[in-house]
Amino acid sequence: MVLTNYLSLGVLLLLPFLSAVVISFLPAQNSALIRRFAISASTLVLAYACLFFLEFDTSVSGLQFVENHVWNSAQGSSLRFGIDGIAFPMLILAALLVWVTILASTQIKKQVKSYYLFILLLEAAMLGVFSAQDWSLFYIFWEATLIPLFFLIERWGGARRQLAAMNFVLYTMGGSVFMLIGLLVAFDSAGLHSFAFNDIRQGLQTLGEDKQILIFLGLLIGFGVKMPIFPLHGWLPLAHVEAPAPVSILLSGILLKMGAYGLIRAAEMLPLAALALQSLLFALALIGLIYGSILAWRQTELKKMIAYSSISHMGMVLLGIAGLNSISMNGALVQMFAHGLVAAALFMLVGLLYARTGNRYLYDYGGLIHSAPRFALFLGLALMAGLGMPGTVNFVAELHVLLASWQTWSVWVAVIALGIMVNSIYHLRAMRYMLTGPKKTGAKPFADLNRVEFLAAAVLMGLVLFLGVYPAPLLELVSTAVADFSALMQP
Amino acid sequence: MNALNVSLIAIPLLPLLAMLWIGLAVVLGKNQGDAGEKQTSRIAIGSMMLSAWAILYLDYLSFTQGFPATVQIGSWLESGAYQIHLNFLIDGLSLTLLNLNAVIILLVLWFSVNYLHREPGFQRFFMVFCLFSSGIQLIVMAGNAALLFIGWEFAGLSSYLLIGYRWQRDVATQNALRAFITNRLGDAGLIFALFFSFLWWGSTEWQVLFADKGESTLHIALISSGFVLAALIKSAQFPFSAWITRALEGPTPSSAIFYGALMVHAGIYLLLRLEPLIAQAETLQIALILIGVLSIAYGYFAGLVQTDVKTAFIFSSIAQLGIMVVSIGLGWFEFATLHLCIHAVWRTYQFLHAPSFLHQVTNSPRPAAQWLQKRPALYIAAVQRFWLDSLGDHLLVKPFQKLAQDARLFEEQVIIRISGNPSSSHLLSRLNAGKEGLKQEYHSNDMGLLGRFMHMLGDLFEWIEQKLVMSDTQQRLQHNFKYIGDILENIERRLAEPRYLMLIIVVSFVMVL
Repeated sequence: MVLTNYLSLGVLLLLPFLSAVVISFLPAQNSALIRRFAISASTLVLAYACLFFLEFDTSVSGLQFVENHVWNSAQGSSLRFGIDGIAFPMLILAALLVWVTILASTQIKKQVKSYYLFILLLEAAMLGVFSAQDWSLFYIFWEATLIPLFFLIERWGGARRQLAAMNFVLYTMGGSVFMLIGLLVAFDSAGLHSFAFNDIRQGLQTLGEDKQILIFLGLLIGFGVKMPIFPLHGWLPLAHVEAPAPVSILLSGILLKMGAYGLIRAAEMLPLAALALQSLLFALALIGLIYGSILAWRQTELKKMIAYSSISHMGMVLLGIAGLNSISMNGALVQMFAHGLVAAALFMLVGLLYARTGNRYLYDYGGLIHSAPRFALFLGLALMAGLGMPGTVNFVAELHVLLASWQTWSVWVAVIALGIMVNSIYHLRAMRYMLTGPKKTGAKPFADLNRVEFLAAAVLMGLVLFLGVYPAPLLELVSTAVADFSALMQP
Repeated sequence: MNALNVSLIAIPLLPLLAMLWIGLAVVLGKNQGDAGEKQTSRIAIGSMMLSAWAILYLDYLSFTQGFPATVQIGSWLESGAYQIHLNFLIDGLSLTLLNLNAVIILLVLWFSVNYLHREPGFQRFFMVFCLFSSGIQLIVMAGNAALLFIGWEFAGLSSYLLIGYRWQRDVATQNALRAFITNRLGDAGLIFALFFSFLWWGSTEWQVLFADKGESTLHIALISSGFVLAALIKSAQFPFSAWITRALEGPTPSSAIFYGALMVHAGIYLLLRLEPLIAQAETLQIALILIGVLSIAYGYFAGLVQTDVKTAFIFSSIAQLGIMVVSIGLGWFEFATLHLCIHAVWRTYQFLHAPSFLHQVTNSPRPAAQWLQKRPALYIAAVQRFWLDSLGDHLLVKPFQKLAQDARLFEEQVIIRISGNPSSSHLLSRLNAGKEGLKQEYHSNDMGLLGRFMHMLGDLFEWIEQKLVMSDTQQRLQHNFKYIGDILENIERRLAEPRYLMLIIVVSFVMVL
């Protein structure tokens, strides 16, 4: 079709970037205009990203929409874009969640201009991470997400925002150092004088297991900080809690997925190392799953609870990746998508509640079904999805991961089940206290979701339910890439 | 999407959409009470009319081009080797039943419009009726056992909802529950069959199931016995007949369609559909004949002594269904199909007519036959309906109750000590307590072993968390940088002094030389 000529990943990245440039020229006092422009810009990006569906061929293995421009031949770096079945869902998720974020940003009242500027810059960087096919380019986009996020947390965050922003940047930079060293060693060992994903993967095929493991460990630390993997998650609770609610949507919806996505790419590049370290990955995933869920259960502060539940859910993703076969990878990718939707919905709703009541404590809410039925509906649905209720896409993901884990690890599945159980405890508790029971005395009445917020929540939960009942489109989207991935992992 | 696919999807989907439409209108307050009756019945009948048109189109296609057989529409679930397709099987058997069902459903819907006029729950009745119509057509058309199972559940659920139509009455809800649970037993058989056909044959498609695989007869026998169990319970055959008399609690049109005409025949239809499997399992055929004969006897004797018209009809239905089961066991499948159609039409008429009998019949009901009166044992057995209900109670309900008591004891003595006492976290007492309530939860003695363990773990993890956050980094970093900066500054100052400058020049000369 002629459409192919107009679909370009480069243009997709430029759209939010140029919109940010335009915003910088808009008058700062006219915040309504800026907001309207940001909404239309993100809608445009989302629509453009969705156009790729029309031309994306799920049966073709390898990259599609490839664009390649030599950047610096002396360094072997190139501006190389392309997407496959693993990157494409993440790209869509990023565009969707930025749209939701901007819709849900009604509470941002000060310095509106720079706020939307940073959000759009962040979108450009995130889309870059998922579409880059060259490790040097990937690294640049990876680091580029830090700058807008630092300012977003530091300027619009809560009381301890400085501490949170600094922790976030220091942790990520610390991880990035290891990642950079790993990448440089990989570049050197591959010997093809190119940073392109495919070239490095080809060059490393003959590399011995020991050296592969060393490179992989470097990358694991880098991606593990973002994902997060157990001892490297120190930045996460603080950053999620202190960030303004719309930014928390992006943090947990997409930033965490960047870590998982990078890890999948690393495993693709170093299959021998991935196979050798399979047990380590599994152990880390189990620890993360249990650790996150127990801490989430301990929290009475809603945002903190969701933040820790993210650690637990990302443990489920790592569990899927650690399986290294097609069923578990299906589970991991579906879980990434599912968690993106659900975490975004939860952070958005809790953020909106906080903006209205100034209270984020679980036990101070009650009887939302009566006082704010629309809040209650979506909060209930999102919590149900969070605990993996059948009929939601999270169930599809968890089922895949559990089935695959049973094949590889047999009885250890009992520990996974334990984690899932603790997860359901605090989700159900939140539901029971917030939605049902008598209205709390002293809680001032507040407005229910307005039309724009309702639209954002309905889109998120609609997708969760639709893909929960009919997951075939999502599974088909990732199928070829997953098959290629699992073929690499045959020892 | 061609016209064939569209009409195939439309047949079960339209009634379902009608249900959603009515439901949405009721929830939104657009369809209430008597004023909404016209709207409701129009939507329901309209959807069934359109669905019937689609069936007529299928008829036309089948006459001109032959039966389309299996039509693949898409796939519902695909995960590795496991696939469930969205496909329909249209052959002589299913097309006949589709037509029959559509006609009967339309007639009964028409009848219900007046019969249920000004009843509370008019809308509810029509919604459930639409759900049932969708389910029964799905059962008939399904191209695989999994799709049939969906229709099967729609039908089971709607039967439960209509038996409990007058939910204000205890008897109605009790009977609804009893009928539903008995039906769930059949569902278990169906799930069992689905599971093993996935496990052994990797599919639930009828084609795959019926293909001659040279498999061990054990597999065939096991899988078909699961299906047959489901079919026998749905058709209320001998040891499972008790539920159907309880099911008469619903309004007359629903009794007509569920227990006279359509739903009881779903079981027979499943047996007919399974012809290739049943033909391969001889033991099963003998069992079917036996069960059929017992059902005929049961229906006949119990029917003789009934005093109300609906119950008499139901027992006669059981006997007729028994005849169909026997003929299936004997391998006379065409005969059974024909019998099914005739019986469905005749019984619908009878059931719909039943309320009028009260007006038409003036003399008291005919006493039981002379020869039966002379055999008191048989007479009592017939009156007591062969004690099937109480037999079920003794064999299933009582042991389960005992088991439940023991489980409760175990719960109180062992489990609660480990897991904590849920009653201590009683909703109301703590909802009002707010944050105080939370503190109580942490220090409560009813926490149980597991709860205490989890709190300990939580404390430990919380402590680790504190260490992970670099809260004092800023000061420490500043301090360190200042320290390093001081050293560098010191060196810088020394370097500026003439003697060190001279030293450096000398050293460089030495190096160069």
